[in-house]
Amino acid sequence: MSVTSGNILEVRGLQTQFNTLDGVVRAVDGVSFDLARGETLGIVGESGCGKSVTALSILRLIPPETGRIAGGSIKFEGEELTTLGEEAMKGLRGHRISMIFQEPMTSLNPVLTVGTQIAENVVRHMGVSWRAARERSFEMLDLVRIADARRRLDEYPHQLSGGMRQRVMIALALSCDPQVLIADEPTTALDVTIQAQILDLMLELKEKTGTAIVLITHDLGVIAETTERVVVMYAGRKVEEAPVEALFAEPLHPYTRGLMRAIPRLDIEADAAGMRPRLQEIPGLVPRLTQPIPGCAFAPRCGFATERCRAEPPPLVDAGGGHTVACWEVDRVRASAL
Amino acid sequence: MAVITDDLALPPRRFSLATAIRRNPTITFGAVLLTALIVVAIFAPYIAYSDPFKIAPVNRLRPPSERWWFGTDQFGRDVFSRTVYGARVSLFVGLTVAAFSSLLGLALGLLCGYFRRVDGIVMRVMDGLMAIPSILLAIALITLTRPGLGIVIVAIIIPEVPRIVRVVRAVVLSIRSQPYIESAIAGGTKNAKLLMRHVLPNALAPLIVQSTYVCASAMLIEAGLSFLGAGVPPEVPSWGNIIAQGRTFFQIAPWTILIPGTFLAITVLAVNLLGDGLRDRLDPRLARRL
Amino acid sequence: MSEPSVLEVEGLVKHFPIHGGLLQRRTGEVKAVDGVSFSIGRGETLGLVGESGCGKSTIGKTVLKLIEPTAGRIVLAGEDISSLKPGAMWPHRRRIQTIFQDPYSSMNPRLPSGTIVGEPLENFGLSSGRDTDERVARLFERVGLRPDAMRKYAHEFSGGQRQRLGIAKALSVNPDVIVADEPVSALDVSVQAQVLNLLIDLQEEFRLAYLFISHDLAVMRHISHRIAVMYLGRIVELTTKRTLFTQPLHPYTEALLSAATAPDPKRRQQRKRIVQGDVPSPANPPPGCHFHTRCPYAMPECKVTAPPLIEVAEGHHVACLRRPVGGDPGPLSVPG
Repeated sequence: MSVTSGNILEVRGLQTQFNTLDGVVRAVDGVSFDLARGETLGIVGESGCGKSVTALSILRLIPPETGRIAGGSIKFEGEELTTLGEEAMKGLRGHRISMIFQEPMTSLNPVLTVGTQIAENVVRHMGVSWRAARERSFEMLDLVRIADARRRLDEYPHQLSGGMRQRVMIALALSCDPQVLIADEPTTALDVTIQAQILDLMLELKEKTGTAIVLITHDLGVIAETTERVVVMYAGRKVEEAPVEALFAEPLHPYTRGLMRAIPRLDIEADAAGMRPRLQEIPGLVPRLTQPIPGCAFAPRCGFATERCRAEPPPLVDAGGGHTVACWEVDRVRASAL
Repeated sequence: MAVITDDLALPPRRFSLATAIRRNPTITFGAVLLTALIVVAIFAPYIAYSDPFKIAPVNRLRPPSERWWFGTDQFGRDVFSRTVYGARVSLFVGLTVAAFSSLLGLALGLLCGYFRRVDGIVMRVMDGLMAIPSILLAIALITLTRPGLGIVIVAIIIPEVPRIVRVVRAVVLSIRSQPYIESAIAGGTKNAKLLMRHVLPNALAPLIVQSTYVCASAMLIEAGLSFLGAGVPPEVPSWGNIIAQGRTFFQIAPWTILIPGTFLAITVLAVNLLGDGLRDRLDPRLARRL
Repeated sequence: MSEPSVLEVEGLVKHFPIHGGLLQRRTGEVKAVDGVSFSIGRGETLGLVGESGCGKSTIGKTVLKLIEPTAGRIVLAGEDISSLKPGAMWPHRRRIQTIFQDPYSSMNPRLPSGTIVGEPLENFGLSSGRDTDERVARLFERVGLRPDAMRKYAHEFSGGQRQRLGIAKALSVNPDVIVADEPVSALDVSVQAQVLNLLIDLQEEFRLAYLFISHDLAVMRHISHRIAVMYLGRIVELTTKRTLFTQPLHPYTEALLSAATAPDPKRRQQRKRIVQGDVPSPANPPPGCHFHTRCPYAMPECKVTAPPLIEVAEGHHVACLRRPVGGDPGPLSVPG
């Protein structure tokens, strides 16, 4: 893999495991994807699918007492992150790769003003004077469209509303011009109208700064409206990857299809009053990740599954147009009605 | 994340003594030590090889030897036998105080936490009681009445109760705001059943932990009171009394103080270890699965 | 829906005092619910939708009489329960049950699931002993759980299964109304579908009335017959589902609909103007129409006069000065 490729981040065969009382949990089990410069990549899946652990692995934030990256490689601008020293990693985090989390209140320090927190990050990574860093904090708050930014610099996180805190988190994350921004459920804790504002803001800033975004969410609506390419994860594995239009036009993995049919839709034409179509359920439960799964992880819940699905893990098949899917029965899935 | 996983539902694990011990070393250590001491206290007449009250001036202040394992005191009484009997007093005081103050504290704490109208009055009374030092209270009580084990126990219980009440009240307040309480009320559960079935069982864990600390502190206070002469009558072999009587001869017969002192320290340690272990085990925030 | 309604709420008000200062004096109040009226018929689902702090959960708790209303009338199956003391309320509790959002904290961790589900049955003296066990077993089957799971504790179930337990418990005493407060928002998409389908099936089977509280418009659209949109303690629009989604009249409803995401990348370009700013604090709501601070169509009048909820077309209630009775339902113009 060469540095000259357009990819800023290349993840190959990532495996992250946790030791629990019930055995080793294979939270991420061989996930690969690329992130191009300035691109918005979505990672979608239900809870426990390993999407957040993937993000934490990239930043090497897996708690060492219980978890570890057991295999694979993560290359950021050609540099291997899995073996990078902790000091070098610290220089990277918050500077060249930033992250924002679901609950901004827990990721902001409650006893420091927001201006101080942003300025500290700037001083640490850019080595500028405190005064310049303060000025940078003001610019950042202004950039994320916080009204009256000069005054807000001296406020504490609890004085801000939820939406405003998430704006501060974005300002903090972008304060050192990162090449990659990882956003883990950034709008899940927010109200609908505030979610729309934050998503719009993230996209607008991406255009302005050229930062590539990895957007992790369980919400297919958020994925559809903000990302360019999507990775669908299930039980620690990547089951499908496609440009966003292709994925929603023709999902190829039975799991992706199941997900799409399970959500109540707001955008379908109005039905006659009183008529409530049944939602399609995905039968069964997510498999336990403490047991090795020999075949396809979705096979026990899948209507298309055959003996082969249960015995051998399906390879990623290229379905054309950058659409890849890990399914043995993809031809039959494609032939069936959506 | 706020989203709930379906794969978290795990089959119940089979109980195994070996893994239980491995996971809770402090509980095991404290419990084993405490059980051993309780056995010693119960079987004191069989363990002590001589009469702890028998005065033999000929054998005064003998150092530990094959005949007097822990030596003798200034009256020639066998320190080993007295120490073994002393365990009875200490453990009896500790356990009685823990039991009574827990029961009282639990009742008052439940009332205060659940019925807000009683809360203000009872809690102010509790604040007042907490301001009384138990040593002074005990001395006052004993000067008014005859010294005895009962008075000592009462004197220790009175200032310990408010400590339990506070803990139970705080726990009840947090339980009361839990959705399962609202769910039970909506399901038609009446006050008495709500308290007994939904509030009480969930308040027990912190109570047990707190009562172990009360037990340990009661044993220390009893020893302190006996040492000051305000505790159990001087002829009763409590560890505090043994130490108090050996004090004047400390330089020539240090065993009369060191041995009961060590026993007292070990007992308190065992109870506290048990309490700490239980706290870690019973607090869901500390006892996470991972 | 022409039948007499099973739950009727009129001018419901709930104010929470704010205490401050050294002596904890009453310094103000949060008008969590500020004059709300609605009714639900047998077999009907009324959705309450709105953002955090709009008072939708407070309404749920008030009609359940878990908290006392400050003013207003709550009529449950013909009986006014609004001022009943806990003792007098007790026999009415059987008629109105609830399903909570968080299936983890709404189950007593120290009781077996069968006991939790059977508790209301025993409370109301509907059954006891062996009989309760049998009825609980049937309830377990009805909500899709294996009856032999009765001895398991709540933590041994998955999120979706616990929500089924909550439904079984609510169903046990054969209520008229079920208040469901965000019952699926903590669940994964695939599990959410299972629970929603179960709720709809049960409604049709037992002619249950649901007061369904959610912030999720898509879920709301799926399960509700009529929907009330709330903003800062007031209902701003109340109409049938179909009308709400095809012809929203209140600017806030319009804002909510345009802000909601949909799993369709093509919709991205169609996204309309999004309402800006934050929801004002319910402790200090703006005067006049609460929404005027964020409303693109606000007139000077809106800052002064609080618009009443009026029926502008049949079954379509709106609280907006720019939407008079019989007015043009088309898009509003931005003043100035």
